[in-house]
Amino acid sequence: MDFELSQDHKVLQSAVRDFVEKEIKPIAMKIDEDHMIPDDLVTKMGEMGLLGSYLPEEYGGAGLDMLSYAIVVEEVSKACGSSGVLISAHTSLCSGPIYTFGTKEQKQKWLPALNTGEIIGCFLLTEPDAGSDAGGTATTYRREGDEFIINGSKTFITNGGYQGTGILLASYDRSLKHKGISAFIVDLKSPGVSILKNEKKLGIRGSYTTAFAFDDLRVPVENLLGQEGKGFNIAMDTLNGGRIGIASQALGIAGGAFERALAYSKERKQFGQPISEFQAIQFKLADMWTRIETSKLLTYKAACLKDAKRNYTMESAMCKMHASETATFVTKEALQIHGGYGYIADYEVERMFRDAKITEIYEGTNEVQRVVISKLLLS
Amino acid sequence: MKILVCIKQVPDLESRFKPNASNTWFDEADLAYRMNEYDEYAVEQAVQLREECGDSSDLTVLSIGPDRVVEAIKKALAMGCDRAVHIQDQAVSSRDPWQIASIISAYAREHKFDLIFTGMQSQDRGSAQVGAMLAELLGVSCATTVVGFSCKDNVVTAKRELEGGVKGVMRMKTPALVTCQLGLNIPRYPTLPNIMKAKKKEIIALPVADLLKEESLAKTTSFHPPAKKGGGLLVEGDIADQVDKVLALLKEKTAVLR
Repeated sequence: MDFELSQDHKVLQSAVRDFVEKEIKPIAMKIDEDHMIPDDLVTKMGEMGLLGSYLPEEYGGAGLDMLSYAIVVEEVSKACGSSGVLISAHTSLCSGPIYTFGTKEQKQKWLPALNTGEIIGCFLLTEPDAGSDAGGTATTYRREGDEFIINGSKTFITNGGYQGTGILLASYDRSLKHKGISAFIVDLKSPGVSILKNEKKLGIRGSYTTAFAFDDLRVPVENLLGQEGKGFNIAMDTLNGGRIGIASQALGIAGGAFERALAYSKERKQFGQPISEFQAIQFKLADMWTRIETSKLLTYKAACLKDAKRNYTMESAMCKMHASETATFVTKEALQIHGGYGYIADYEVERMFRDAKITEIYEGTNEVQRVVISKLLLS
Repeated sequence: MKILVCIKQVPDLESRFKPNASNTWFDEADLAYRMNEYDEYAVEQAVQLREECGDSSDLTVLSIGPDRVVEAIKKALAMGCDRAVHIQDQAVSSRDPWQIASIISAYAREHKFDLIFTGMQSQDRGSAQVGAMLAELLGVSCATTVVGFSCKDNVVTAKRELEGGVKGVMRMKTPALVTCQLGLNIPRYPTLPNIMKAKKKEIIALPVADLLKEESLAKTTSFHPPAKKGGGLLVEGDIADQVDKVLALLKEKTAVLR
């Protein structure tokens, strides 16, 4: 058992670190204040290959593996949780399912622009009344000739504001529950799509969280993703992979907050000595680092299992749950170590504290993760 | 055009250094390594030249050291070098600049490179000798501390950084060697697709024993952190008072006024 990253992964990690240090870190606070990731940064992330890390080269991806993807999201999230989730939702929730379930024609048509970041992807599952209970999807579709006609609404759609490509889940017959659901690849600039609003949020403010309405959105039949009636399975498989992305984002937010807390504890003096000399602070640092390391081990393990094409459902649920709880714990302690300054917006731990919370909620709340884990244990 | 770029892997300068057991170098355990900063400028310039010359040119990156240096080599390949030579040497940190230059020249002499790029100096040993020695051993022209570079019709124009903010411009025919200084260029990020492509590029491994025939000319006898200095003295009072105090101090503590 070797816990070292390979040399190739280390090269990748250091390249992404350098990129983040120069291109993202200096503007992370502005991204939060402006509620917006500048288009220029999205373009640069695309050129760097951060938006197609594990997708194959033949479709314009970098052709790396899931572990590389986890490292990318982690390193970016150390500086900016909003940019981290942009990459995660785009890659795992849009390009991922097109690659896994799409036909060759669909992959050729949609993936190159997604992998280079020319178009930003999103995943349209959640509805005002269907969150954890995806079987309750109320958005409907019907077929008319060579088209599907979609009506309904979606909410809390990460990356929705870019109006790029989306994977949309809709039901043929609501009484069939999850068996009536199909998945479609949609162009969100099409007629019949309207943005109701981009939400204002506690954290990850640079990331779009969008509410959509669909009024007779016409989708050509060739945009059906996978088989009709199999949309629920596609959604569950997609979220399975997506959880590795969210775990990596949480791991990054925690890592970023820890770095700042560690540095601050050595600089800040009280009672004539750096506060890092006090055991109260030392114990906090020990707890924070231990949780970060355990989260990292779980997250990298889930990524390696997916790379080895082995079952990773349990591990992805565990890493998402544990890393997100690590992120809220570590950012809370990092803020506490900063004292009053931590509560001030000029210090980055204030933003990280706000950014961390969502990781316990989206892509399956931690309550849902506990259901997944315990079901597998007892089955 | 055949181009060679020589790189060194150095510890991250933010690491905590402590002397090794023999007190001749720092302890390498638990250090994080990266490509020497000046060598990144060298790689970038070499890759730019390689791109200008197109497919008629060929760019090799070379590094000496244990297996860990392959990480720096892979970065250079991802930045755009065509192939790599890894000279395997477990004892690289005990080599003096003469031996390092001799090893590289033994390899380079056979392959007849038109242009060789190196960093101005390494960030750890900082001797700034290897580039110039290598040029001398190969009998090629050399420009050091280069902050501007162009190459046309086998003539290199190199802008050198001299002391006191003065710059000098040199022209020299290839074959030639330049050592690269901060300000020459901004090294590119290795993109993810290029990191992937680099995995398929050739890395030739050569044992150092095949190339090293020279004894070292310089030997490190001791390696230690600087002695801790006492705190400074603050001279206070009006100006006449201060002058008296400084005079007294100079008489008492130094030989200046004796």
